[in-house]
Amino acid sequence: MIELKHIRHAYGDFKVLDDVSLTIQEHKITALIGANGAGKSTLLGVVSRLLNPSQGEVFLDGIDMSTMKSKDIARHLAILKQTNQLNIRITIRDLVSFGRFPHSKGRLTKEDYLKIDEALVYMNIKDIEGKYLDELSGGQRQRAYIAMILAQDTKYIFLDEPLNNLDMRYAVEMMTILQKMVKDLGKTIVVVMHDINFAAAFSDHIIAMKDGKIVEEGSIDYMMDKKILDHIFDHDFCIAGVNGRKVCIYYNHQQAAELAERKEEVL
Amino acid sequence: MKAHKKMWIIVGSLTIISILVYLFFWMVTSPYDLFPDDPIRAIRMREAILNILSRKGIQVLAMIVSAILISSTSLVFQTMTQNRILTPSLIGFDAIFITVQTAIVFLFTSSSIFYLNPYLNFLVATIMMLGVSLLMYRLILRNNRNNIVFLLLVGIILSTLSRSLASFLQTIMDPEEFQSLTIRTEVSISNMNTSIIWIAIPMMLIVLTALTKDLKTYDVMTLGEPQAIGLGVSYSKKMNLALVYIAIAMSVATAMIGPISFLGLIAVNAAREILKTYRHLPLLILSSLIGIIFLVLGQAIIIETGYLTTVTVLISMVGGAYMIYLVLKENRT
Repeated sequence: MIELKHIRHAYGDFKVLDDVSLTIQEHKITALIGANGAGKSTLLGVVSRLLNPSQGEVFLDGIDMSTMKSKDIARHLAILKQTNQLNIRITIRDLVSFGRFPHSKGRLTKEDYLKIDEALVYMNIKDIEGKYLDELSGGQRQRAYIAMILAQDTKYIFLDEPLNNLDMRYAVEMMTILQKMVKDLGKTIVVVMHDINFAAAFSDHIIAMKDGKIVEEGSIDYMMDKKILDHIFDHDFCIAGVNGRKVCIYYNHQQAAELAERKEEVL
Repeated sequence: MKAHKKMWIIVGSLTIISILVYLFFWMVTSPYDLFPDDPIRAIRMREAILNILSRKGIQVLAMIVSAILISSTSLVFQTMTQNRILTPSLIGFDAIFITVQTAIVFLFTSSSIFYLNPYLNFLVATIMMLGVSLLMYRLILRNNRNNIVFLLLVGIILSTLSRSLASFLQTIMDPEEFQSLTIRTEVSISNMNTSIIWIAIPMMLIVLTALTKDLKTYDVMTLGEPQAIGLGVSYSKKMNLALVYIAIAMSVATAMIGPISFLGLIAVNAAREILKTYRHLPLLILSSLIGIIFLVLGQAIIIETGYLTTVTVLISMVGGAYMIYLVLKENRT
């Protein structure tokens, strides 16, 4: 179980995280949403020990994470940041092998090879394992990274905007794979996302952040509410129902303003 | 590795050829009869030859040690700073070494044990280098890793500043002190300081052992800081350690053969171009060999052409042009 207690983090005077306490629900996909600059990525950084918070503690299965060794943490949780602008030439297989680093320190054993193969097969990239990363499409590359995380064989997985630069088909495919990982492999996944509809369609739980605080948290049904979303994003949303699922429409704001303007002109 | 078998053979033999040329080529062009018939003259000649060979042997050793240290730490430095262009020399490490030497004389006088004893002097200089480089990392490198042009500028400023500082201290120094200072500061490849070769070799072995132990970790670090930490690398610890190795290596190399700005850049980038890999082990070996070839063969040619120029100038010319090409290429992508 991962628990955050009274996390505060500031860059200079600017409070990025302001007294955030949170328990991450196990065996679920949790979506972390919020406007730009709300502190989502910072929170993800703190949970995954990439950032040391100015104040507060993170507990991993009851142990204060700041007292743990980085390589021990790496056996329990994996993180994938969105900065994938690598200028190194590396094959998919080699990249996925990096996932075994916390377990083998670079000297791969039989078990490691097994896990690497499993991850490659699971992400459906076994047949292109010899290809170089710069020869791949965005979707394939993202799958290669997820395969690396999978090979790391951790209970918790944190992903920072994994859908960036993916078109709809690949984004849906990615989220479906994540859902499968929760169901088949019992993973606990936290994803930072921008698209609320993707969050609503594929996650089990939504955490909403605003100005460094968690403002709302709950099930999809609870969170997909006009009042709540309007408050989170300072925007005028419209919630609709499609096939028994809630969907939000967010591009009517400007239209409404234009309509109002036109009305004024007529008057 | 297999695909590059031919290349390894070529580079390996080139390295050996360079060393042999440096050691023995003077015999071919020597105007003297090296093996005279007269037995007495033959004995004298043999003594002279052995004398020259042993001197040249130590010089070659010093160049090999320096080339290996410069190339391997440049490689690691590039991994740490996540770029392909900067090297410790370009960021001003060797200029700092000269300043540190001047500061030692200024603070302790040239008759002090810190200056006269080559081992103690080396120790003090390395410790001061270490302090400066850690400070530099904390203040500049860590936060501007992606801004190569800015860092190059910092390197230029730092080199100029420390050179000016050194010459300022030298100006207000006692003339006699200044005289003895030039022994340490005017070291160059044509004027090597081989007196510390017997600590340089163990130092090199220590640095190399430490580096090879961490090569797999450096491989992971090429993925970038967040990903490396995610995979359990104690990033800042490795970074600080690497800076210690770099400071030691730069102290040793600069103390023996003086500043050579572009050697690391040429060696590491040539190795990258040839191997096209992220793996540090082959990169480290190949860049060290290329470094040796450039330095030793270059110097051998310079000597044979009667010191028309220095190998430092030669390397700067090739390296400078190469760096401009790299900067332009980097900016385009």
